[in-house]
Amino acid sequence: MSDEQAANGKPPDPVEAFRDLRDNYLDAWAKAMVQTVNTDAYARTTGTVLDTYLSASSPFREAVEKAMLRVLEQLSMPSRADFVALADRVTNIEMHLDDMDAKLDRIEKLLTKPATASSSRNPRSTVPSHQKKQKAKGAK
Amino acid sequence: MPEAAVIAGPFTDMVGKLTAFNKALTTKTTIAQTPKELVWALNKAKLYRYIPVVPKEKRHPVPLLLVFALMSRPYILDLRPGHSFVEYMVNSGYDLYLLDWGVPGPEDKNLKFDDYCLDYLPRAIRKMKSVSGVEEFSMLGWCIGAILSTIYSCLRPDDGLRNLILLTAPLDFSNKENITFARWTDERYFDIDKLLAAFGNMPGEMIDYGARALKPVENYIVNYLKLWDNIENPQVIEAWQAMNTWVTDNIPMTGGTFRQLIVDLYRNDRLMRGEMMIRGERVDLSRLRANLLTVIAEGDHITPPCQSKAILSKVGSKDKELFSVPGGHIGIMAGSGANKRTWPKVDSWLAGRSK
Repeated sequence: MSDEQAANGKPPDPVEAFRDLRDNYLDAWAKAMVQTVNTDAYARTTGTVLDTYLSASSPFREAVEKAMLRVLEQLSMPSRADFVALADRVTNIEMHLDDMDAKLDRIEKLLTKPATASSSRNPRSTVPSHQKKQKAKGAK
Repeated sequence: MPEAAVIAGPFTDMVGKLTAFNKALTTKTTIAQTPKELVWALNKAKLYRYIPVVPKEKRHPVPLLLVFALMSRPYILDLRPGHSFVEYMVNSGYDLYLLDWGVPGPEDKNLKFDDYCLDYLPRAIRKMKSVSGVEEFSMLGWCIGAILSTIYSCLRPDDGLRNLILLTAPLDFSNKENITFARWTDERYFDIDKLLAAFGNMPGEMIDYGARALKPVENYIVNYLKLWDNIENPQVIEAWQAMNTWVTDNIPMTGGTFRQLIVDLYRNDRLMRGEMMIRGERVDLSRLRANLLTVIAEGDHITPPCQSKAILSKVGSKDKELFSVPGGHIGIMAGSGANKRTWPKVDSWLAGRSK
């Protein structure tokens, strides 16, 4: 590097040598770590750490959940379970609306087919159905 | 006084660098700027259509649907202007759609591959066909999105899918020695029931830790050193910030899907063995008949190349191709070389099959 810099007429950069050394060291370390994490020993260790954390935090988490539930009941406020049940119902309604939208699309297609077939002068419409709906809404 | 200036000079430089470094670390950049419109939504999922910039008569008639992974934001496909796959494909004349799965909440913890593949995906595809006014389409699945796309393609082969592109697709889990995640999630070490009982969904932070821990030195040290070394280069900072904004924007994976991913795929390799059941239907890879392009990243630690190759010998597609790209899991699509290698390949492969 320093030869290259000298050839370019630039003063040698002392930090450059340190940076090269650092990068080589990190490269070797990175390769070693990739091999280390792909071992049974590493998998066992992380599994144990996670298991310990889950076991230790479980009683606290359950106690907090029960206490929070009681507080919400006392305050006549909905709990997470209530919101989950509500979300289920909303998604169910959304699915029914989507089914209806699909049926409307099919009906629209059936209605426009005979019209285009009978009128040979009119070229086949290339306007997507959602744009047609928007136009119809605008006309109203 | 000149002596004071000489002494203060390096100190001032260092303060300036530290300030810029801190700003780069803590600032979120504006991403996903390609104009789009919302055309469909269900629960948290949203289907967007990118506003075409090429006149209709010059556009490819077959629309393309992008299906990204469940546990990351899809805007990695549209990171920033000039470095966006979405922008590239829209400019290349594709009618482009993006399915954003959204952020699952506690109420979604029971959602499984079954729901995504047989409720959400078919409905989004129906809407895309209705909006674009055509019956055939292409689909690009990336990472877990590739699993969803593959399952859907096998279960609904007559839905009009003409072309399927799989990017870094984790489909084959037979080579456990080379798949670090498979080792970590082995039933001897990893109690999935206990984890999901505690959290409901798989927390995004834990998924992020898992992805980073595959290459700990690169992700926890080298990544930040690269920023420090280039702290006076605005272009590098801009690119780094955009990527960092995406990397730190983690989302959870629904408990039901995560359980299937670990038990059915990582532990038992059910998809490749033809034993995967989705709502009572067996996922038979030979039923996949669409033209298939599988893109693998040679340096991928998240989905090693061995996971994406075997599908070619299992599918029923006559037109199939494997494309190998140097780079990592994300780098092949969002890295600096993506617009020279992966994007042109996807475009050229798709263009010839979208007439």
